[in-house]
Amino acid sequence: MNRFLLICSMMIAVAFAGTAQAADGKAIASKQCASCHKLKGPAVKTIAEVLKRKAPDLFYAGSKFNAPWLEAYIQSPTTIRPGGTVYINNITLEGDTDVVKNVPKCASKLSAGDAKAVAGYLMTLKDKSMKSGVVKLGKFSKAKAKLLMYKKNACNACHTDPKKGGGISCPTFEGIGARLNPDWMYSFIKDPKHWDPKVWMAKDDLDDTSIQLIVNYLAKQK
Amino acid sequence: MYVKNISKKLVIGLLFGAVLLVGTSAIAEAQEKAVDNYKLMCVQCHGLAGTGKGINAPALAVQPRNHTSAKDMSTLSDDNVFKAIKEGGIAVGKSNQMPAFGALMSDAEVKDLVKHLRGMCKCKGPA
Repeated sequence: MNRFLLICSMMIAVAFAGTAQAADGKAIASKQCASCHKLKGPAVKTIAEVLKRKAPDLFYAGSKFNAPWLEAYIQSPTTIRPGGTVYINNITLEGDTDVVKNVPKCASKLSAGDAKAVAGYLMTLKDKSMKSGVVKLGKFSKAKAKLLMYKKNACNACHTDPKKGGGISCPTFEGIGARLNPDWMYSFIKDPKHWDPKVWMAKDDLDDTSIQLIVNYLAKQK
Repeated sequence: MYVKNISKKLVIGLLFGAVLLVGTSAIAEAQEKAVDNYKLMCVQCHGLAGTGKGINAPALAVQPRNHTSAKDMSTLSDDNVFKAIKEGGIAVGKSNQMPAFGALMSDAEVKDLVKHLRGMCKCKGPA
């Protein structure tokens, strides 16, 4: 009986500790992140609102990111979008050519403890309509993936591949495998507008096999 | 009398529902101005000045079209430009680096964008 009570008490304590961490994370995120990031949906639906966006939406962070990456990133952010969150806000005409200027950097520099709490909270922000376990990671033909992504669909017109180079108006593929949940990548490629109604990423008519191949390739970019 | 009242309520309810539906769909289909769609979708490659020197241009194998060139743009019909925007470069025998924007813009918006491009080149397509 005593052992049973002890186990119950420990389980309750663990549950409370989890809740406390999530609550702390929420408080820190509200204070440190919410001035730039949207922590509550829905996504904006007009271009005028997109132009006011300072940083990527985080209200579905738990569906989008891999937790270890998120925890590390908020301690020491790097540049993921070379053109900034909304590229059009950070370009200027020099002569007859557009150049990227003054891309604001994420100022987050959380301690390891705060980062763990914030990442823990952000990972609770999920889009329940996204299916999990859709992507089957495994063996795939890198050559076929590259052919599909760079010859047929020209993904590198807007995204930079670390080895191949590419455009800068969209997030880099460098480290994307560590950064993003493969199921989210699948969902975003399949229907970008579901996540951002005014996204500037074109939607290609790709079948399941093609998207699986692309996500397998991207998931390896760590 | 009772049946009459019910019918009246039903008609009012249906009318209210119809108004609500029309309103909702109008919000969902709110059309963006061509200049804003150009800013968000086209400038990344075609550039702020529309001359094909956007921030992605250096990475592209084919230089994006100069929308201000009357010489180039007047060789393209409105239907051809509409198709290129909606279905992508491949659909009109051009580069696959021009993506299909049909899923991001309505036909009416693409049509408006074609007009906007005609304003930029100050030209018309072939008769």
